[in-house]
Amino acid sequence: MNDKSNNLLEMRGITKYFPGVVANSDVDFDVRYGEVHTLLGENGAGKSTLVKILFGLYQADKGDLLLRGEKMEISSPSDAISSRIGMIHQHFMLVPTLTVAENVALGMPSTRRPLTDLDKASKKISEISEEHGLAVDPSEIVEHLSVGERQRVEIIKALYRDAELLVLDEPTAVLTPKEVDDLFVILRRMADNGRGLIFISHKLREVMSLSDRITVLRNGQVVGATTPDQTSREELAQMMVGRAVRLTPDLPPNEVKESRLSLNNVSVKNDSGTLAVDNVSLEVRAGEILGIAGVSGNGQREIAEAIAGLRPIEPNGLIEINGSNVSDTNTRSRRDQGLGFIPEERVPDGAIPEFTVGENLILVDHETDNFVSRGLFSFDKISEHSSQLVSDFNVKTPSVNTPTSSLSGGNIQKVILARELSASPSVLLACQPTRGVDIGAAEYIHNRLIEQRELGTATLLISEDLDEVLGLSDRVAVMYEGKVIAVVSGEDAEREKVGLLMAGITEAVDA
Amino acid sequence: MNDFFTSSVLVATAASAIRLATPYLLASLGETIGQRSGVLNLGVDGVMLLSAFFSYWTVLQTGNLWLAVVVALAVGVIMGVLYGIITVFFEATQGISGIGIFIFGLGFSDLMFRQQVGTPKPVQRLPRVDIPVLADIPYIGEPLFQRSLLTYLAFALVPLTFLLLNKTTFGLNIRSVGENPQAADSLGVSVERTRFAAILIGNTLAGLAGAALVLQLGIFQPNLTQGMGFIAVALVYFGAWRPLGVMGGALLYGLVNATVLQWKSLGIIPVSISDLAGMAPAIVTIGALILLARRVNAPAALTKPFSRH
Amino acid sequence: MRKKLRLISSLIAVLGVLALGATACGSDDSSSGSDGGALTMAIVAPSASDDLAFSQSMVDSVNALDRDITVQITDGTFIVEDAAAAIRGYAEDGVDVIVAHGTQFGASLAEIAPDFPDTTFVWGTATDTQGLDNVFAYAPAADEGGYVNGVVAAAISSTGIIGVVGPVEAGDAVSYINGFTAAAEAGGATVNVTYTGSFGDVALAAEAAEAHLANNADVLTGTAQMVVGAVGVASDAGVPWFGTQSNQTSLDPDLVVASQVYHWEFALEEMLELRDNGTKGGQTFEINLANGGLVIEFNDGFELSDDVKAAAEAAIAGIIDGSIDTGA
Repeated sequence: MNDKSNNLLEMRGITKYFPGVVANSDVDFDVRYGEVHTLLGENGAGKSTLVKILFGLYQADKGDLLLRGEKMEISSPSDAISSRIGMIHQHFMLVPTLTVAENVALGMPSTRRPLTDLDKASKKISEISEEHGLAVDPSEIVEHLSVGERQRVEIIKALYRDAELLVLDEPTAVLTPKEVDDLFVILRRMADNGRGLIFISHKLREVMSLSDRITVLRNGQVVGATTPDQTSREELAQMMVGRAVRLTPDLPPNEVKESRLSLNNVSVKNDSGTLAVDNVSLEVRAGEILGIAGVSGNGQREIAEAIAGLRPIEPNGLIEINGSNVSDTNTRSRRDQGLGFIPEERVPDGAIPEFTVGENLILVDHETDNFVSRGLFSFDKISEHSSQLVSDFNVKTPSVNTPTSSLSGGNIQKVILARELSASPSVLLACQPTRGVDIGAAEYIHNRLIEQRELGTATLLISEDLDEVLGLSDRVAVMYEGKVIAVVSGEDAEREKVGLLMAGITEAVDA
Repeated sequence: MNDFFTSSVLVATAASAIRLATPYLLASLGETIGQRSGVLNLGVDGVMLLSAFFSYWTVLQTGNLWLAVVVALAVGVIMGVLYGIITVFFEATQGISGIGIFIFGLGFSDLMFRQQVGTPKPVQRLPRVDIPVLADIPYIGEPLFQRSLLTYLAFALVPLTFLLLNKTTFGLNIRSVGENPQAADSLGVSVERTRFAAILIGNTLAGLAGAALVLQLGIFQPNLTQGMGFIAVALVYFGAWRPLGVMGGALLYGLVNATVLQWKSLGIIPVSISDLAGMAPAIVTIGALILLARRVNAPAALTKPFSRH
Repeated sequence: MRKKLRLISSLIAVLGVLALGATACGSDDSSSGSDGGALTMAIVAPSASDDLAFSQSMVDSVNALDRDITVQITDGTFIVEDAAAAIRGYAEDGVDVIVAHGTQFGASLAEIAPDFPDTTFVWGTATDTQGLDNVFAYAPAADEGGYVNGVVAAAISSTGIIGVVGPVEAGDAVSYINGFTAAAEAGGATVNVTYTGSFGDVALAAEAAEAHLANNADVLTGTAQMVVGAVGVASDAGVPWFGTQSNQTSLDPDLVVASQVYHWEFALEEMLELRDNGTKGGQTFEINLANGGLVIEFNDGFELSDDVKAAAEAAIAGIIDGSIDTGA
């Protein structure tokens, strides 16, 4: 067994340019045998670039790569694989139509050339499954597997290739809290067996619980290296963003008034015609934020679309906004009733990327007299209105005439937020409002949502980020397989309890 | 109608169906392999025209049928290299590049024919090769086992293509680059090389299809294929990207054509609705597609060029 | 990279278009240019000028004209819009006589002809001039040759069953087949007619012939350019073949019995004379056995008994003197 103090990997002075950007600037990074070394940073900080260089997907413009003490050139994924580097990509690198065994054996030499040798592969997969606690059926077709099982297949793929250095790029993004816990047990065991792991994440809680060491990147540079016992989540956030950030929003007490949005026995079908939302009843009142927690794909998208008027509900259901039945009305008339909507997909659902910032800001009420005179757009009024919003909402854009597509995700989200909030909605439907945005922008958006709550808006918050739901919500509804299986008040909503509910486990909670 | 259900007429109809199906089957199997790797080739018809002309010309000059087949294969390989470079290495839009290949094949085969041949001259046709014993089986012997070697080859390629796609490492690579090239790439499978090879095989089979067509007829004329290559592409969709399904489509298409011609000859289809009946193969094939419609999706990466950036 | 690939794919397309263009444009441009006295003529034809069928018949006929003319040809214009462009182009270039060789070009001609009153347009096959006074129309009495072929076919068939492969039920194909059928049935034969639905699908024509053979036909005929496939089947089976439009003996010197050949020059000659005398159009011409525009060319390589030959001659004479009705 290799000595734990030895370096398995050393990257020295890695620099990588993309047109107009320095993605990595003189980055030093190393991994020892038997440790989990986390790469932490905001989107675009250069984490992915660094590991893609390691895996041979990109070539560094400058810098050296040493593996087991020897200088290496890795110019393709096959080089990386033969050097016993494995990578679990953020988006699963699986072929959904193939079986587990085919996915695992893909790209490996076969003893029965030119034929495949799937029996042998299946046997080895079973062995690996058993040894590492990664239960999966080798003959199953991948598209029939759950997200957690697919994650296991990815890990098996790396182990099958006898990977010693394992890169995990945001591996928890799609997992339930329970699945995350299980994964961490497996990862820790793999490190204990002497493997080196690179863990990439921006979820501070996970980083604190799994890492041996943490290196923080910002704007392509290393801004700090630390260990969990020497730091805190707040400090890590500060290193990532470059200024102090409040991670958990303060939810001041607020007066809750009349019901604004109510759902009665609402059922919704998904695109393939199966029931995605099953008989859900909910009520959101003025001055409260109702958060919906759940693992992605449990009906959240469909329920949001049904409320927004983008998807029909089954006949026996009822949706009311401010007391009037909107079940069969279109989006426009629901907006007229006071609904504001921040859709899950920023682009293209929330904003049209080719349009300018100004155009996106008036997208919803461009027909009103505010912006039209004698049948034509009044560009002075539009420009005045949008400039005001851009400054009110801190949108970082060169001008209101800039194409929206050239803005960062966080700023596009602020444009959408500005448009929706400027209409003073009485009901706000906010879906994944901070997904993929910087910590700084997320903090801003959270504060705006809280401000809106104080103004008396009834907010339905749908988010896969459990911390966000727990931090912002007066009440938390947990969705599982299309049903709301529990509604708990904010104070009672403990992480563990909600996490179990998200996995459909109600017994432990009731007890 | 009773005239149709006589053994000699039914046997002749089946034989006709298999002759008609042969070029479609070869071209469709090739296109299947290409599409499973994620590459759509709408240029099949152009490749067929080129190979049909050059193999016809070879027989005209040398009288050697097998040399003609080799020439057709070579034309397929050359067009495959060309299409591979365009679509894989230059990542060009596949639809429009394929149409370019088609137009080139149509125009160039026409030009060469007029310059080198002029007036259509008949050449020798592919000889009938009887398979011992089997050829003597009543009813099925004649349509199935008294055919040309290219027909036997076309049908032999059905299980071979199935094996290639489903049982070999190369086939696994083809399927994975057609579904998720990023995944294949991340495991060190060269997407470019795999797609290039699949395109090469596909075009070679299209070349063979052109040879089968022209050597069955023993004569060439401009635009000989009349869009057969496009039907071959459609049959891949009909066959749900499976060799067996593609064979079913080619046979169905051939059989309906043969039956319609037989019924016209027998007067079962009167002359007055003759033109209408000409649409039958397309209508029956589409109808069958709707009836049998399985929920099979196209390869997810079909028509999508691959690049890491 | 992106730019390069666009360049390449457009290059390929351009190459293809050039290749198409090269074949479609003036493949037989025999004009010597500036010999001012010569009459200039142009032919726009839908299929290849050497198709052994419809288009070739006109090209051969114009070349057979006993006059000092220069000829330009645009062939392979199966797309009507391309043909229209070619016709207008020739008119603008000042070509004296333009032959629009295809019924389908009629609508284009109705638009173009009035713009060029000094140009003579020759259009067929058609039985009227659409009221345009600078358009001559022409049509073959294809039923006449069909009738003669049918007489011979019925005489040499031993099974008494004859197969006919036609393209689309229209134009001179119908009249040829009707004339053929009338004579063959009068001669006691059964005639099975298949219209394949296509002028170009050689494979389908071949299988249509195969179907006739399966139904015991022992004599075949057919019309339009795709019949080369059917002739191949006849060759293989050793079954006699009757041709029309052009002399098809070269397709099988042993088995082609006779071909009805279109000699448009007889009609063209008259049109050109009218033009010389100041009449630019407005008349309709038919080529037939009587005026020598249709000729039955027998293949010496196929032995016919004297009886049969005499019957054929009698049929020709009967049609010319009007004692035989072809039934068309």
